[in-house]
Amino acid sequence: MTETALDVATPVLAEPRTRVSATLSDDAQLIAACRRGEARAMEMLYHQFKRRVFGMAHRIVGPNDAEEVAQEVFVRVFRGLAAFRGDSALSTWIYRLTVNASLSHLARRGRRQEVGDETLADVPAAPEVSRDPGLAARIERALAELPPGYRAILVLHDVEGLSHEECAAILECRVGTCKSQLHKARARMRELLGPIGGTPQ
Amino acid sequence: MKCEDVRPKLTAYLDGELEGDRGSAVRGHLRSCEACRTASNDEAALRDGLRALPTLDAPSGMWAKIQTQLAVAEIADSEKPSWRRALARWNPQHWVTPRLALASGAVAVIFCVWAWRYSQRERELAPQTAFHLPQLPAVVTPPAPAPVTSADDVASELAAMPKTTSDSYAAAVAELEQLATGERAAWSDSQQKQFDAKIAELKHDIATADEGRPRHRAYRTLIRYLERATSRDEVAFADTRATP
Repeated sequence: MTETALDVATPVLAEPRTRVSATLSDDAQLIAACRRGEARAMEMLYHQFKRRVFGMAHRIVGPNDAEEVAQEVFVRVFRGLAAFRGDSALSTWIYRLTVNASLSHLARRGRRQEVGDETLADVPAAPEVSRDPGLAARIERALAELPPGYRAILVLHDVEGLSHEECAAILECRVGTCKSQLHKARARMRELLGPIGGTPQ
Repeated sequence: MKCEDVRPKLTAYLDGELEGDRGSAVRGHLRSCEACRTASNDEAALRDGLRALPTLDAPSGMWAKIQTQLAVAEIADSEKPSWRRALARWNPQHWVTPRLALASGAVAVIFCVWAWRYSQRERELAPQTAFHLPQLPAVVTPPAPAPVTSADDVASELAAMPKTTSDSYAAAVAELEQLATGERAAWSDSQQKQFDAKIAELKHDIATADEGRPRHRAYRTLIRYLERATSRDEVAFADTRATP
């Protein structure tokens, strides 16, 4: 299937519409242009969301399957844009697809996430994290051991920095549920990490 | 404030969601309790550590792979029959909106209420009709048509027809005779005698007439006479008009 796919995708196709001069500043214009099949708009949308989609997928399903899940998410996004009604923000919808695709992937795979040290070595640690240079790697390892639901809320709120309201919209739950899940997830993470010697408040 | 009260609030406190005295109460406890302070510092370090995790960039070839998958999907779409493409486009959520569901529910409720009230009204009307029926004159009560179920039943119905009609005539005669009895007091003796004689004669005609149409005709003659007599039609007593 892959070979066939590559064969058919190689030819450069003419643009279905020529109205590409419009500024694709807001979501509505970007969505409209993507629905018309404008390649430039689709690529803009991809570049706008690729880091977060890939990052979320990477931290929920692990590095081995992250690209596969991220590809699946973008295919669903572009194929589903025609049915996107705009009930939520475009970003919320895309992140919801990402979390759902990741959790479904884990369920399909049917095994607990076990991320080895070799794969974690590929993840560069941020230099400015803290005084403990190994903390980022320890956090990544502990994150991979969490149940998928806890992992999702930690990634959305603490890693990606989304608000409780955004997290609740993405996970389709109440804000209160979101907060209590975050509290439990952090407690579980602290159990897994042990004392990490944070700076006093 | 105790440790067990503070621990569940640590996440909210560290995320800046506790304001005013709620925040200061937690802060006050943390100043005095080393165990909670350690827990708070650990959670804060975890939160900061998570926030500072590196941003992961997508692999460079991912966009090309996505475009390939989209192209494959579009080709597969184009090979589908049009009805399947239309089915794929159809999204029930667009149609079954909450508003539409609510309207359908309301219509269903209104129909149920109407149907229930209609059945109640029918039930109330039924005994009234049954109560009034006996008060109607027997003569106007038509013989109830029995449901026709087979050819045999139709034949038996036809055979019973003359008798049923004769019964109706007999009922009418009985009623008119009753009326005539009421009127009788106003008549003269000769009129009464003439009336009795005429009635006896007509009844004899009925009794001697053949079953069927001849007997019906005799009944009708008697009935006409009785009607005239009760309304004091002069024709009924034509022979006795001279008598005061």
